[in-house]
Amino acid sequence: MELLIKNGVVYDPINEIRGEKMDICVKEDKIVSKVKNPKVIDANGKLVMPGGVDIHSHIAGGKINAGRLLRPEDGRKGAEPRGKLTRVCTGYSVPNTYATGYRYAKMGYTFVMEPATPPLLARHTHEELIDTPILDNAILALLDNNWMTMEYVKSGETKKLAAYVAWMIKAVKAYGVKIVNPGGDEAWGWGKNVNIDDSVPNFDVTPRDIIDGLAEANEMLNLPHSIHIHCNDLGHPGNYETTLKSFDVVKGRSNANRQVMHATHVQFHSYGGSGWKDFESKVDEIAKYVNAKKHVTIDMGQVMLGDTTTMTADGPLEYGLHMITGRKWTNLDVELETGGGITPFLYSSKVAVNTIQWAIGLELALLIKDPWKIALTTDHPNGAPFITYPIVISLLMNKQKRGEVMANVHKAINKRAILPSIGRELDWNDIAIMTRAAPARILGLDRYGKGHLGVGADADVAIYDVSPEERESKKIQSALLHAKYTIKGGEVVVRDGEIVAVPEGRTYWVNPEFDGESTKDMLGDLTGKFEKYYSVNLANYPVQDAYVPHPVEIKTKV
Amino acid sequence: MRVTLTPKKDFKVPVEAETIKPDNFAGKNKSEIESIALWHGNKEVKLGSLFDVKVEGVNKEETKIVIEGDASRIKRIGEGMTSGEIMINGNVDMHCGAMMSGGKIIVKGDSDAWAGREMIGGELVVEGNAGNYLGAGYWGAEKGMGGGMIRVHGDAGDYVGGHMGDGEIIVKGSAGLLPGLDMSGGKITIEGNTTLPGGEMKNGMMVIKGKVLEMLPSFRFEGEEIVDSLKLKKFTGDLVRRGSGTLYVNLIPGE
Repeated sequence: MELLIKNGVVYDPINEIRGEKMDICVKEDKIVSKVKNPKVIDANGKLVMPGGVDIHSHIAGGKINAGRLLRPEDGRKGAEPRGKLTRVCTGYSVPNTYATGYRYAKMGYTFVMEPATPPLLARHTHEELIDTPILDNAILALLDNNWMTMEYVKSGETKKLAAYVAWMIKAVKAYGVKIVNPGGDEAWGWGKNVNIDDSVPNFDVTPRDIIDGLAEANEMLNLPHSIHIHCNDLGHPGNYETTLKSFDVVKGRSNANRQVMHATHVQFHSYGGSGWKDFESKVDEIAKYVNAKKHVTIDMGQVMLGDTTTMTADGPLEYGLHMITGRKWTNLDVELETGGGITPFLYSSKVAVNTIQWAIGLELALLIKDPWKIALTTDHPNGAPFITYPIVISLLMNKQKRGEVMANVHKAINKRAILPSIGRELDWNDIAIMTRAAPARILGLDRYGKGHLGVGADADVAIYDVSPEERESKKIQSALLHAKYTIKGGEVVVRDGEIVAVPEGRTYWVNPEFDGESTKDMLGDLTGKFEKYYSVNLANYPVQDAYVPHPVEIKTKV
Repeated sequence: MRVTLTPKKDFKVPVEAETIKPDNFAGKNKSEIESIALWHGNKEVKLGSLFDVKVEGVNKEETKIVIEGDASRIKRIGEGMTSGEIMINGNVDMHCGAMMSGGKIIVKGDSDAWAGREMIGGELVVEGNAGNYLGAGYWGAEKGMGGGMIRVHGDAGDYVGGHMGDGEIIVKGSAGLLPGLDMSGGKITIEGNTTLPGGEMKNGMMVIKGKVLEMLPSFRFEGEEIVDSLKLKKFTGDLVRRGSGTLYVNLIPGE
């Protein structure tokens, strides 16, 4: 099967193609330099970009399913009957797996990272990803509140820690290391929380030690992605200082290919003030740091005003939110590994704090000069559901549109946010970087054919029916929400905004090779943990191959 | 205009009839009404294939729909209606008058569960008995009835007015378990007996003129007051939610 995408206006930042009129050739599932007898897609005057890459979106697993169970009323929103090819869709902030696949594909996205899987529940995550059509995917394993991790950090046995990380990633078919409120979930088991230099109850380590230990193990293993961190103190006034301290933990480390820390949904971590009354944006400080340093990248975690469901492995945070709103809440505990919580949340334009949160996400994208350092996310569904991406993009591209929104929200935005003073408007090249090239590079997936359209890359292409000069937000939004074409693995999956094919996605996972001696020692310790504490046997723990029917195995060497 | 629908047979598989409402029928002629789509099980069919349709008059301002015969397998009649009138001369299935905001529905027989679910205006009268979840929110919904009026001449099932925020429900007979669960406003009157009224209520008013068969311990007794010329005991609660709802009760357990 050959395709020729003719005369499109191509944005391919990794290959430094910036709005050039050119043809893209596809053969089978790869981009090639020429084709002989292709089916021609006329892209004249249309935007052509690599398929979208979402670096951080909670789309599958135990937490998401608990969210669906907690919020059947959300299932009623966005309900669509089955079509000839498509299955029944439900949900808005917690869509079912089918809706997730179709809606992402319609927006031109072809890869999504599920960023917070408790290793013990990884089977469930993979089962849901099997049922998520079209999208290529990968998962990050939560390894920070883990007893083994904390004990090795405490004893300073970094080689054994690296062996454990390697074993876990391989065992649960994960792509990398996720850190969520390090130490906080373990403390939450005792009704407490910790900040970066507090001691975790019963383990005598600090979150700082955990971050540093996992970063060292991550680099020792030479994983394609860096540590991926949700910092301590999320969502609290004045937390920007904790965020900057967390960034600083790994400043002495480096990697030739990429950052050494990816800090996620930094919107939730850029707050100033001493309480909710003087809550303010501190994006100026965060942006100053990120602009000056090379070792850290971030993603936005944009909040959109409206109703959504918040869900994170940060158990104490979710309980705090529930106590503020009085809305329903549920809580998870995952044995020795991690935990989590879920509660619905309404970001209201009448509430000063919510309005400032909305501004902060946009400020991050606009004040960080280099778009390669910041990926576009809403931390779906925590800041907003992923289907709001087109609105976020239209706001970033149009200052006037931002002004219109700001005129109709709480006036605190004029005093305690920076957004009103920002005139920058992003262009399509910036957007292409933030939505595909940068996330692919930050994840290390650019080396495996994602996020670009160079020869040999995966034939994942999005074609939007909008002129590169277009700035009108309504037109941008509708073009991005319903791609003219989405091509996934060389197959047209979306035409004129409708699903026309539903191939199954592939799962990227990393198989890290590590020194056998340390692994043997580590397995001795791990066996003890399983015998003493776990509810399953060690032999039954690793995820079988059958749960990853379309694997892409990435082998790494020390 | 007056539209009379007579089912052509007894339905075994339920009909999803949210398109049967005056807003949808107003100003349409017989064949237009017959071609309105609705779902019968998993098949989308035309209204004319399930019902005999009779249309009298043309004044679309006063559209009245009359359903003759058994509607006990017809769901969602009048869902989301804003005006006009529906008269059902028999029993009706679930979700009758759900989310309605205006107009009037009269059910001559019994209604099944979720009648008047999440309604925000208008009037629903059930002359027989009502099922569970009368005027409540659907599963997971944080808000139930938000306005309007529901009258039941017979008994009602469990969870009357769950998550209710505003409006009024009057049940002439008795009601089942936990009426007014999590209510935050509005008024529920039950003239007969009920069990565990007002659980987790935050605000609003409940009047139980019969006997409360089982009473939640988390309500504070405030004294006696005359309500509707009856001397009733006044309670405030639900204290587990620091609620300030008012619960009037005639007879408590043991009396």
